[in-house]
Amino acid sequence: MGKFLESPIAIDRTKLIRAVTATSPAPPPPMTITGRPHKATHLHCVPSIVLPVMLLLDYQNALIQSLLTERFSGATPTSIDQVVSDFDGVTFHLSTPESKTKILISINVKCYKELVQYGAQEVLEREYGPYIVSPEPGYDFSVQVDLENLPAEEEARNDLIMKFALLKRNAMAAPFEKAFDEFNKLAEEASRYTSESAPQGVQEGGEVMAIHYREEEAIYIKANWDRVTVIFSTVFREETDRIFGKVFLQEFVDARRRVLTLQNAPQVLFRSDPPLELANVPGLSATGGEVSYVTFVLFPRHLTPHRRYENISHIQTFRDYFHYHIKASKVCSFSRSYLDYYKELITKHVLQAYIHTRMRKRTADFLQVLNRARPENEERERKTASGRTFRVQG
Amino acid sequence: MSQINYRTINIDALDPESSANFPMESLLPATLPQAASASDAANAATQVRQMLRGGDPEGALRTVLDTAPLGGDDRAKEVHLATVIDVLQGIRQGEMTRILEGVCSGDGGAERADCLMKYLYVKLLCFGFQERNCLMEVRGFDCLSIDYRYKGMSSAAPGSGTQTPKKPVSPQDTGFSQIQARNLGEGGGGQQMSVLLSWHERLVEIAGTGSIVRVMTDRRTV
Amino acid sequence: MSQSLRPYLQAVRSSLTAALTISNFASQTSERHNCPEVEANSSPEILLNPLHISRNENEKVKIEPSYNSVRISIRIKQADEIEHILVHKFTRFLTQRAESFFILRRKPVEGYDISFLITNFHTEKMLTHKLIDFVIEFMEEVDKEISEMKLFLNARARFVAESFLTPFD
Repeated sequence: MGKFLESPIAIDRTKLIRAVTATSPAPPPPMTITGRPHKATHLHCVPSIVLPVMLLLDYQNALIQSLLTERFSGATPTSIDQVVSDFDGVTFHLSTPESKTKILISINVKCYKELVQYGAQEVLEREYGPYIVSPEPGYDFSVQVDLENLPAEEEARNDLIMKFALLKRNAMAAPFEKAFDEFNKLAEEASRYTSESAPQGVQEGGEVMAIHYREEEAIYIKANWDRVTVIFSTVFREETDRIFGKVFLQEFVDARRRVLTLQNAPQVLFRSDPPLELANVPGLSATGGEVSYVTFVLFPRHLTPHRRYENISHIQTFRDYFHYHIKASKVCSFSRSYLDYYKELITKHVLQAYIHTRMRKRTADFLQVLNRARPENEERERKTASGRTFRVQG
Repeated sequence: MSQINYRTINIDALDPESSANFPMESLLPATLPQAASASDAANAATQVRQMLRGGDPEGALRTVLDTAPLGGDDRAKEVHLATVIDVLQGIRQGEMTRILEGVCSGDGGAERADCLMKYLYVKLLCFGFQERNCLMEVRGFDCLSIDYRYKGMSSAAPGSGTQTPKKPVSPQDTGFSQIQARNLGEGGGGQQMSVLLSWHERLVEIAGTGSIVRVMTDRRTV
Repeated sequence: MSQSLRPYLQAVRSSLTAALTISNFASQTSERHNCPEVEANSSPEILLNPLHISRNENEKVKIEPSYNSVRISIRIKQADEIEHILVHKFTRFLTQRAESFFILRRKPVEGYDISFLITNFHTEKMLTHKLIDFVIEFMEEVDKEISEMKLFLNARARFVAESFLTPFD
């Protein structure tokens, strides 16, 4: 510690820091939101930061949720016609085509055809049974809710709101559910064999389900008898994104090994060429280029019936969570000493340019040093009224 | 001829009277020693190495600086540079100041100091002792060549390696942590550099900043 | 401070002290012009021998003196691609503010990350030794800044990864 502090950090501060070192251990640096925090201490304290504010994404669509909450609370029915966007190019259309009390919610998903292939229709029918209407033109799936025909209890109503807000999640959940079911089946079959004598089909696991949910990115899901593998292919357009992404992914990979409480988390792997599981999937270029592949290995403990719902929701948000944080750290990152500042940013949901903020601060510092090179105005001799001059005390 | 845009022609360069065509030869003193050849430099090298082996580093340094081929060709300069480096490396850190004081005093001591300073800058310029390309880069700053500045700039680029080579994202499951102290690992060759840097520091203490000014202004390069 | 950093900075300091002996010099080629000769490159005798100081292959300084101006180019250490990006971002950020940094050159010399151009007008208006202090401090601080930014990025990545993986359990 002392060695760090010894280095002359800023010329005018050296003395102060020296003084601090003399009475080591050094007191914690003063933290301010606007002022520049003391440097020289953070290098040691940076890791192991725990913020009370979680930065996870919600599974439901907040706009639908708030809109329905407002409608369901008994406000006078009005006509609605809103198009709502969600992640991954999903759009919703909320409208009241027939009467003001009948709200039609339609969803458009880019990969709906693929989802249907993996059983989306059944999942949605299970979830929204009585509310399903024939799809609105231009959309893939529609539900309609009648405000005059709501459940009486508050709780049931809230559940219903949440159910509609989770429309995207439920649509995307189908292939995951299918894979999880397949896993159960395979696991059961496999338990009847020893590992050597298992028939080919059981050992190899199910087919790879591909969901091309974005222009160039896809999710691949494959069930085996002992695990379910979820592979995200993701594209980094910029060099900066690619490198930042690498840093982030490396932490995902390491987290499980490093943190004791995460021992049971899914295993994460990443690589820039298609992993072995995707060997038979056509149309993947062998040389990665801009594409990276992130593999989540879900173990049986993640696939149990009572964890299943949560985990499907959660893993769906990975791609958006990941990219959101890369973007955010380009503009926003944190340190112990910037913690207060950062918390403020999060709570306000103003993700300001953090690295920028930092650079701006540092630039101002440099400027200050440079300005020291400009001679100050010659200090004029000050005189009292009676004509006596002050002596500057050496 | 009509293809050339005459507006882009630097007519100053065509005018023999223009300052762009300043006769650089006129900046070299008339007392420039006879042009030394590579074999002369090699002879000097053997002599110096003998002194070094004979346990006389001070004499070796004195001789090697006195025999610097100020008017020699590139090859001679290169050979001599290698000799100087051998001598500098052959001197222990603890003896530096004593030897420097000895070398830089007496008759022609200031010239020797300037000469050593020139060698240090030539050496500090490039990184690594054995890199021949790098040495050629130094030669690029020949004072007699008008466009030496351009040469220097362009040749600075390849050695510097601004672009980090793109490495594919590979599965890394070795469990290493990405957080490493950045200041711990010195780049390769840092050790040799720091020897030269401490030579530089000692020499500035003895010979003063004026010596550096003379390195900049003296057109007789080593 | 690292062992070899001090002599390195010391060498830069003494070289700069020597190089910053510059005075007014009107252009020889165009009448009533007065431009930094190190940039104009109009006549060879006004340009002096450049000084190079390197600490290792990743960190070096080039000082190009001339009669009325000095150009100082710095190559900032960048050990990996993250640092490369951060250095690039930071120097870009600085050069975009070159206006307020009087001596900052808007474009670095090829092979270097950032360049300063000090002319006789700067040394007339400012204190030369303080200008040198600035360059030295810049070299020192920029290294630390990059290290810290890198650490923050890592800490952040770690936090983000752990937050995402926690709910799975």
